[in-house]
Amino acid sequence: MMKILCINGSPKSKNSSSELLINELCKMLGINNEYTTTKTMGVTKQEFLEKFEGVDVAVVVFPLYVDGIPSNLLRLLYESKDELKNINSDVVIYAISNNGFFEGKQNALALDMIKHFCEAAGVKWGQGLGIGAGGMLTVAPIGAGPLKSIGADLKTFSANINESISSDNLFTQPNFPKLLYKLGGHANWKKSAKENGLKIKDLYERR
Amino acid sequence: MVKTLVLQDINLSGLDLDKDKYIIFKQSQSVKPCVGCFGCWVKTPGKCVIKDSDSDFAVKMPHVEEVIIISELVFGGLSPNVKAVLDRSIGFILPFFCKVNGEMHHKQRYDKRPNLKYMLYGEKMPEAEKVTAQKLIKANATNLGADKFSVEFYNSTAELLEDLKQ
Repeated sequence: MMKILCINGSPKSKNSSSELLINELCKMLGINNEYTTTKTMGVTKQEFLEKFEGVDVAVVVFPLYVDGIPSNLLRLLYESKDELKNINSDVVIYAISNNGFFEGKQNALALDMIKHFCEAAGVKWGQGLGIGAGGMLTVAPIGAGPLKSIGADLKTFSANINESISSDNLFTQPNFPKLLYKLGGHANWKKSAKENGLKIKDLYERR
Repeated sequence: MVKTLVLQDINLSGLDLDKDKYIIFKQSQSVKPCVGCFGCWVKTPGKCVIKDSDSDFAVKMPHVEEVIIISELVFGGLSPNVKAVLDRSIGFILPFFCKVNGEMHHKQRYDKRPNLKYMLYGEKMPEAEKVTAQKLIKANATNLGADKFSVEFYNSTAELLEDLKQ
């Protein structure tokens, strides 16, 4: 049995891909562990650090922002790096980054940044999982249909967490045509524009 | 004409920079984070929906030839307050996708886009973090459509300021 802290790095209060991934991951990790979660918006450094007390593993789950860590999460990690070791020097950190592009590999730098955080804080780094086409995570149950590949890699990742294995990062994306993902994305942006009372050409405004 | 927009996390007030050449962007002490709403793409295209002056960075970018980002090197990337401004500046690009070097990226909103220069500082910067930062500016340049980019590392802010004076 392990105590596992899931850190939701999304700034969204609900319906985030990070929340969905945390729920799926915890299911895969199984009922033999004890889980706690924390958000990263409106959380103080002290509240954040306290969440690490007594946990064996922390999994940081976040969306890719400008090739890196979203600022709400980055700020907490930055403020906590010198004190984490005093709270818990044995914690092993894992990370999942998801992006809106197609390729999971585009999360590589953000995962390296979490690894650098571990090195700066003096705690052990486990592994990162980079997921592409995060916008597709709700189209099917994870592990089914176009999300079969993501499900398989999340399973491998969860098995490594359960065994506390450190390994090279994994990168994954839906088993789905990239072109269709792109066209679907474009249709969604246009739909959102109309819902907001904009014309499609308004989306191209130059300032 | 102003040519360079500077985003920074150090005090530059002691420097006598040419006001005709540089705009020093003065962000809030604690920049409100991007909330992931995509409003800068589908509600107020080109600009973050949060109504404060930190939303102005994306609007200034297309009107300069170069963006300089002065930041502490943090985990191989930028410091939180500087990163918060960038997170809120993705309205600079379009939501629509295109292919760049075989990878999916966003289309550019503007034809004219600034070059990028990162001036990163820190005591005892780990080599591995510098390597990540070098990859980061390349990735940022691809996503922001910058034709040219460069990164310099400084062991102290004094060293960095000295370089900026020249």
